Amino acid sequence: MGDTLQALLHGFEIALLPMNLLWGALGVTLGTAVGVLPGVGPALTVAMLLPLTVKLSPVGALIMFAGIYYGAMFGGSTTTILLNTPGESASIATALEGNKMAKRGQAGPALATSAIGSFIAGTIATLLVTLLAPLVVEIALKFGPAEYFALMVFAFTTVAAVLGASTVRGLTSLFVGLFLGLIGIDGQTGQPRFAFGVPELLDGVDVVVLAVGLFAVGEALYVGAYSSRIPEVMDRITGSLWMSKSDWKRSWPAWLRGTAIGFPFGSIPAGGAEIPTFLSYAVEKKMTRYPEEFGHGAIEGVAGPEAANNASVTGALVPLLTLGIPTSATAAILLAAFQNYGIQPGPMLFQMQGDLVWGLIASLYVGNVMLLILNLPMIGIWVKVLTIPQPLLYGGILVFATLGAYSLHQSVVDLATLYVFGLLGFAMRRWDIPVAPAVIGLILGPLAETQFRRALSISQGDPSVFYQHPISATLFAFTALLIVVPWVVRRVKRARAADQVK
Amino acid sequence: MSPDAALRRSLAETALSVGVLALGVAAAVGTAMLPSQGGYAGIGPNFMPGVAGAGLILLGIWLLYEVLTGGWRNMPPQDPQSRGEHAFHPGAFAWVSVGLFAHMALIQTGGFVLAGGVLFACVARGFGSPRFARDLAIGFTIALAVFLFFVLLLTVSLPGGWLGPLFRLAGIE
Repeated sequence: MGDTLQALLHGFEIALLPMNLLWGALGVTLGTAVGVLPGVGPALTVAMLLPLTVKLSPVGALIMFAGIYYGAMFGGSTTTILLNTPGESASIATALEGNKMAKRGQAGPALATSAIGSFIAGTIATLLVTLLAPLVVEIALKFGPAEYFALMVFAFTTVAAVLGASTVRGLTSLFVGLFLGLIGIDGQTGQPRFAFGVPELLDGVDVVVLAVGLFAVGEALYVGAYSSRIPEVMDRITGSLWMSKSDWKRSWPAWLRGTAIGFPFGSIPAGGAEIPTFLSYAVEKKMTRYPEEFGHGAIEGVAGPEAANNASVTGALVPLLTLGIPTSATAAILLAAFQNYGIQPGPMLFQMQGDLVWGLIASLYVGNVMLLILNLPMIGIWVKVLTIPQPLLYGGILVFATLGAYSLHQSVVDLATLYVFGLLGFAMRRWDIPVAPAVIGLILGPLAETQFRRALSISQGDPSVFYQHPISATLFAFTALLIVVPWVVRRVKRARAADQVK
Repeated sequence: MSPDAALRRSLAETALSVGVLALGVAAAVGTAMLPSQGGYAGIGPNFMPGVAGAGLILLGIWLLYEVLTGGWRNMPPQDPQSRGEHAFHPGAFAWVSVGLFAHMALIQTGGFVLAGGVLFACVARGFGSPRFARDLAIGFTIALAVFLFFVLLLTVSLPGGWLGPLFRLAGIE
């Protein structure tokens, strides 16, 4: 405990260095500015802004990234509330009530409760990360390759098979990601795989190119083809920007409940912030004293899900930092950013590069405060960004998207790959195949393969390691339950419905 | 759903399912050419590619089975109006693609600023902006600002291209 406090204080010394504060502020501002663009979710924001950090020191770059991450989240909720275009599935719950509030002329309080709620949830969740991370590291140090592999299979399964509209389409997306992750030189034997004689493919498929292609280029092709000829409607901010006394009174319990729901979901490697946000929405709807307002702009319905979203996103840093396992597309891109600096998150990171980890955690606290003081007064500017006409907006998005892909290796091949992934993203969007499992499969697949082969090397090729170790056996059992239980429930429900028809 | 739309939907779903299957077969063929010696682990660099190939083949078959038994499950409505969208606009798709290809062709010769400006104007055209010349001007300005920000502040090098001599005159490298 005392060690944690000391490490954190040392982290603050690093995070509060003037240069690092500056990078943090720049990150928050850019993250908000890009995240507020309609159609640009947090994952895309982080991917497009990755090249900004190539020349920074690792600590400075990660602090800037933390700022971008938080800024992108905040920018996304602004767009959701004002335009009713949730940039990612975790914002759908916010859109339900938030946009109704904006339509009623209460955009100001809606934006304020989402900003302050995000701040409170983010700060509490960061505190929990601080307390929890060292404990998870203790446990993780006892993990061998078999346990890691089991954990990764668990993460794959929840991300691809459990969340989303269709198990088979989620798994297809995951396996396409796994396939793309295998392209290039095998890290353990030096054997080139699936490179088809193209030298550029030997380096493998970069996660930035995949994410930007699927999200930005695919989105631009899709929106252009299917909704560029529909006039846009935006809700003006009218009335006070500030929350009234009753707004405060109704918001704070929702913030705390949202945080309590969001954090656990984020911190287990089960992926996705959409379940906790919908859960929080349902809880608020049940507990409110103003049930008649739900569906017409109830402030609890914005405050709870926004807090849950932020707490879950922050909670996702626990598996990312302590185990090296990303549970969302955004976390996968953050992991890629770490890898760009030769940093492999995991329990050893806390021991070998404590300065960096604790500097990053401290900068999360700082980033949260910065977000609040920079963004609330500047809300007028962010709203102006939303009035950019769609043609210019998407022109700008693609200039940044190509910049992100090109500046990786200064190679036209990356731009061609970007377009191919754009076509793939268009098709996936049109035929409802989720994109996040592909991004997670690409980055987590090679790590899972390494652990799998390492586990078998240690056991001299005996596969029983995976079920004779109690932890990995438990995790595999959990994974099996995750697949079987929803399937059985669906069957039973269908059978009952059929009975009632009779 | 009209019979025409239903046919188009199942054609698209069939094509995508076959695509997944074909990717799986390609992965399996690629895997067969990889060595399998695996040292202590007993499995080599061809094991995971085999898993990925087999998985894609099975998923392709599963998707095809869904097409044959009433179409993919839980799909959004086929009719664009009920998704709040309009019918497929080929011009928009083409202009965005043209912009990206022009960008690829220009970036190493014409440089970052020119390529970015052309890309910007093409995409804006695709989204229905009628003023190509104005968009070109805006695009150049934005690309120039980004170029200067990257080169001067972040010291990341981007190709100056045909404007390179001008940048050198201004003392920017």
